[in-house]
Amino acid sequence: MKNKIEPSVSHIPDNSHHLDIKTTRPSYRLDCLMDHVGRFFSWFWLITMAVILVSVIARYVFGQGSILLEEMTWHFYGVTWLVGLSYALVHDDHVRVDLFHERFSCRTRLWVELFGILFLMLPFIGIVLYDSIPYFMDSFGNAERSPAPDGLPARWLPKMFIVIAFVFLAIVALSRLLKCTSGLFGLPKSIDKPMGRF
Amino acid sequence: MSLEQIMVVMMFATFILLLFSGFPVAWVLGGTAVLFAVVGHVMVENFGADLWFSWGSSMQLVPERLWDLVGKETLVALPMFIFMGIMLDRSGVAEELMKNIVKLFGGIRGGYAVTVVFIGVLLAASTGIIGASVVLLGMLSLPVMMQSNYNKSLAVGTACSVGTLGILIPPSIMLVLMADRLANPNASVGDLFMGALFPGFLLVFLYVGYIMVYAWVKPNAAPVPDNVEKITLKIVFNAVKAIIPTAFLILAVLGSIFFGIATPTEASGVGAAGALLLAVINQRLNMEVLRESLFQTTKTSAFIFAIFVGATAFSVVLRGLGGDTVIEEALLGLNMPPMGVLAVVLFAVFLLGFFLDWVEITLIILPLVAPIMESLGFDLVWFAILFAVCLQTSFLTPPVGFALFYIKGVCPPEIKVTDIYKGVAPFILLQLVALLIILMWPPIVTWLPSVAY
Amino acid sequence: KVRWKMPVAFKSSLPGLGSPSVFAAEQLEQASGGAMKVKVFEPNKLVPPFEILSVVSEGKVKAGYTWIGYDQGKIPSIPLFAAIPFGLKPWAYMSWYYEGGGHDMLQEVYANKGYKVHAELCGIIGPETAGWYKKPLESLDDYNGLKIRFAGIGGKVIQKLGASVTMMPGGELFQALEKGTIDATEFSLPQIDQLLGFNKIVKYNLFPGWHQPFTASYMLINKGEYDGLGDDTKALIRNVCTAATVKGLTTSEYNQGAIIAGFGEKGVTAQKLPRDILVKLKSLTEEVLAEESAKDADFKRVYESQQAFQNNYKLWEGFAYLPSDL
Ligand code: NA
Ligand code: NA
Repeated sequence: MKNKIEPSVSHIPDNSHHLDIKTTRPSYRLDCLMDHVGRFFSWFWLITMAVILVSVIARYVFGQGSILLEEMTWHFYGVTWLVGLSYALVHDDHVRVDLFHERFSCRTRLWVELFGILFLMLPFIGIVLYDSIPYFMDSFGNAERSPAPDGLPARWLPKMFIVIAFVFLAIVALSRLLKCTSGLFGLPKSIDKPMGRF
Repeated sequence: MSLEQIMVVMMFATFILLLFSGFPVAWVLGGTAVLFAVVGHVMVENFGADLWFSWGSSMQLVPERLWDLVGKETLVALPMFIFMGIMLDRSGVAEELMKNIVKLFGGIRGGYAVTVVFIGVLLAASTGIIGASVVLLGMLSLPVMMQSNYNKSLAVGTACSVGTLGILIPPSIMLVLMADRLANPNASVGDLFMGALFPGFLLVFLYVGYIMVYAWVKPNAAPVPDNVEKITLKIVFNAVKAIIPTAFLILAVLGSIFFGIATPTEASGVGAAGALLLAVINQRLNMEVLRESLFQTTKTSAFIFAIFVGATAFSVVLRGLGGDTVIEEALLGLNMPPMGVLAVVLFAVFLLGFFLDWVEITLIILPLVAPIMESLGFDLVWFAILFAVCLQTSFLTPPVGFALFYIKGVCPPEIKVTDIYKGVAPFILLQLVALLIILMWPPIVTWLPSVAY
Repeated sequence: KVRWKMPVAFKSSLPGLGSPSVFAAEQLEQASGGAMKVKVFEPNKLVPPFEILSVVSEGKVKAGYTWIGYDQGKIPSIPLFAAIPFGLKPWAYMSWYYEGGGHDMLQEVYANKGYKVHAELCGIIGPETAGWYKKPLESLDDYNGLKIRFAGIGGKVIQKLGASVTMMPGGELFQALEKGTIDATEFSLPQIDQLLGFNKIVKYNLFPGWHQPFTASYMLINKGEYDGLGDDTKALIRNVCTAATVKGLTTSEYNQGAIIAGFGEKGVTAQKLPRDILVKLKSLTEEVLAEESAKDADFKRVYESQQAFQNNYKLWEGFAYLPSDL
């Protein structure tokens, strides 16, 4: 009777809002890659939890508070959700308002997806990426560290993950774009691989 | 209408319109932000429009604001509470509860529904999210209630509405996020947790009262099953035994906050570890379960944070176009007494709740209206809880109601969408009643935070 | 015509600490006859407080108003311009800043790290309190194992005494203090601390504020934007900021006495640190400052300039001023 309950939390259990489109060869490769990256970083939640526990125990059992541990907590948390953005996109887990969407024909949905990626998503990703590079470079160039006396060095490292997260997002968005053009115009050719399982 | 007002109205309208295309909310927010930043920029640079707008002080601030999100220690609680909810889901604790507690209440009219409320409260006090509660309650209770010839609407309405209590009764990721956006020492996460406790119980009281009265007025709606077991000492003992693990979690999270062992952020980590421990004790944990739970935590956190990212861009562009001034002038220009303005705000939140979910409303609307409420002299904790109760209804109001989506996924086939809508309607009314009570009697919110300090 | 959006690091409602930003914005508009408009954005409305330097330097916003000590992670020498343990009294700091080359040194410090900003001293307040504690501080041993929030260089000093020093945002301090997450905290002036409610929980308020005898705030203006301004506008900014600095000082000096006078009825005890403790803290501070000097050339240069002035000033201060207990 183990695992009787499927992981059902917080996303809509029926897949009516998902796009049942076939993947393409480049899309599949890219999705696979980003899926593995997302899975790898998911383990950081466990580390975040462990750091919190250590920090609580250190303070209440040994009377030693530590900024270092507090900062580690949110460094891990921040990096993980940043990378998670693209992981959720690989699995098409971002929330949609599916009031009309679920009544659209498959082709209409593909058009929505194509326009959305081209005119909403990619411009946004591109602009944030463009501005986050100098932001990271400033931090890196001055070897920014925590302003707290006992804090972590290399504050530029988590800042770098803002750039990385948006590069990842751009990759997955392109992969989805190819799936849309494949479904609408047959370019590139679709391949028979299951969605969401790699 | 001034140019600012036109731009602000257009921006909201464009957002809502694009939302209905079904493209993910997060990227609609981000894309709308870019669109209006471009429009604003072109209007100012190329047409000399009288707008105090610049590309630099809006769209270009997104990286700095993203970094602020990364560095938000209080928001670490979000993924931790999410992981905790998923683990609790997997630990089998809820099944044990259902199996044992139903024997306690099974003998009274509407007993199953009351059991659902009881378990819902226990789940609510131990998790910070609603997805797990709604799905669990639905899966565990709907088949049993159908078997006992319960009225379909009552059954599904109870499971669905009770499941949403998790977002109001602390711990709650919604309250964590609200405290973050309020950014006011007088309305800390702890204050909101304490403030939400009695309103949560008030709702529970109203729910149970409604179910009992309904079952009494319409005996066929919630009949007593034929094969009722007599309550023996053993049944009581088993019920208590089933409650212990949940009680342990509630103590770990709320207790450690209350007794000062941990901040709300740390308590979320303690709770996550506690849920993990429960899964180990119940022998439900293996590598596969752990992996899947972690992956699911990433996805669930990511979809909330993606909306954060989009809303960050949206609100900075909105503010760049003068959005906060426009809304402040519109609200204060109503020429109403403060209570009137408050009512307008709450009603607007209730209406927005039909189309948007709590994350967008909290991220975009709350920071716009909270300073106005504070300037009108309202207690911020009280206002936040009123806001939270309004937001809780957004889970239940179609077309965009998350609890509705969740329950739809686990309903037995004989329950139709209309049954769900009919079922939650009375509970939405009950929530409005609760809202009214809290409005008329503020101490129900403000008393506990005032004595806790 | 100048139209600036100016994010600030502290709520403009905090007297002395945040209020000069609004004062400066109003004065600039009035004195320029409306040619200059500066709109103040409360903390986080536009930019998070810690990001003000970055956005001004990049020219995303033209001006910002902040406690520049927040940037010590990027510019090690910057705390010397923001708050120094056992440093100068507020008016003496102003004297060093205006007459002793401080203003120019600050511009150089920014330029050396590649930041394109023009900084203008635009607010200063008197000493902070040395923190709020559960019980009176008898000796420095009491710092050992104490869980405390203490910002800046002062934090490094009491860290040497075995305290577990944390940095939390002002908004979380009350809760953390009440729940015992921290045992003690410092934040700002008595009046501001009271607005945050510390006195409701811990009853011992320690003085003098050895870690922050002055706290200075600056208006940061994007360098390109500033260089492009006419001399009239530059003069206006300089004068308004000088006025705002005085205004900040007078606000902070005016109110604190009344707050301390009201301690009795709130059950708060104001405690003065004994001289021997202060002497030890001073020598520890000097150790820390020497360590920082060894690490960063700008730090060394600014610190030495301040030391040279402070040594002379001490003579004047010792002879000329009446003892405060007379
Ligand atoms: Na909860
Ligand atoms: Na809704």
